[in-house]
Amino acid sequence: MAAPTLARLTGVFLRVGNTTFGGGPPIMAALQREFVEREKWLSQEDYALAFSLARVTPGTNVIAFCAATGAQILGIRGALAGAFTETVPSAALAVLMTQGYESWRTNPVVLAGVAATIAAVVGMMWSAVWWLVAPHWGGVHGSIRTVAITGGAFLALWKLGMSPLPIIGIAALAGLLWKEPAKQ
Amino acid sequence: MNVFVLYLLLLKAVCTSFSGMASLPMVRNDFVVTRHILTDRQLNTAVVTGRTGPGPNGLYVVSVGYFVAGLPGAAAGLLALVTPAFLIIPMMRWVGDYAKIPRVRSAIRAVVLASAGLLIASSIPLAQDAVTGPLAVAIIIVSFLALTFTDVESWLVMIAAAALGVGVKLFS
Repeated sequence: MAAPTLARLTGVFLRVGNTTFGGGPPIMAALQREFVEREKWLSQEDYALAFSLARVTPGTNVIAFCAATGAQILGIRGALAGAFTETVPSAALAVLMTQGYESWRTNPVVLAGVAATIAAVVGMMWSAVWWLVAPHWGGVHGSIRTVAITGGAFLALWKLGMSPLPIIGIAALAGLLWKEPAKQ
Repeated sequence: MNVFVLYLLLLKAVCTSFSGMASLPMVRNDFVVTRHILTDRQLNTAVVTGRTGPGPNGLYVVSVGYFVAGLPGAAAGLLALVTPAFLIIPMMRWVGDYAKIPRVRSAIRAVVLASAGLLIASSIPLAQDAVTGPLAVAIIIVSFLALTFTDVESWLVMIAAAALGVGVKLFS
């Protein structure tokens, strides 16, 4: 698909980055859906490259991820759009929330809205997992490889408490040594 | 405090961490312990507001800047947060040159699968917080199905969920 206009790309960052609660992983999941599945501006490999390098970039992973995906799609203009559109409106909201912290933190209606949004974020993250894994599923070798790497990464973070950075490093090493089936 | 010094201090904290909240110990050391220009209560408020709203977790740095120097301080915090992100562009160019080699491509695809595993693990604490009753379970299931098997935009699902949560609270 042809590259989008800067306004269109900025619009996606604006919508996703500033309506998604729960921090970096949900935002990266939502952008995976937008850029890879819906708009097809990026391939899964582009997404993986941005995802893995964002983990080793100093600072907040998701902002680096937005700069990377923006750069992949529209060069430096896209990087600027990604990094700033992702953060400026949320930062403005953070300042407003800081000013009004004592009044809103006990408001049950606001909290109910936030809680419901977080529930939707969970569904969105599981949907992103589906879209990331599905293309690699198929055949005995491909399925075993998929389960081993995905399940291994999950267990390493959830059960062993490893940091994501070495998990990604180990996965990359596994991918180098254990080649994916030719049909993929 | 001079806004440029504030920017440099926050940039130092952000640059020496690899995730949104990992800069917190250095921020506390610089602003609460060493310089006494922020209280622990203010820092806690900054962390809560940074984590409660949409956007990245590291946004608490903006609130810290706001507490220290008002709106110019918030702008300094925002710039400190965003500046290191651009380091990824030269890194991506360098790695991208190798991305067409089959074994490297295989490694990158393995990272895709690992990222799926990391997403599952990251979703569990959120799910534990989110599942407070049947409505939350229904929202999780419906949003998963809608986003997986239909073409609906994700922000619409978020807005609809928020509206549902508010509506149920108001009319219950």
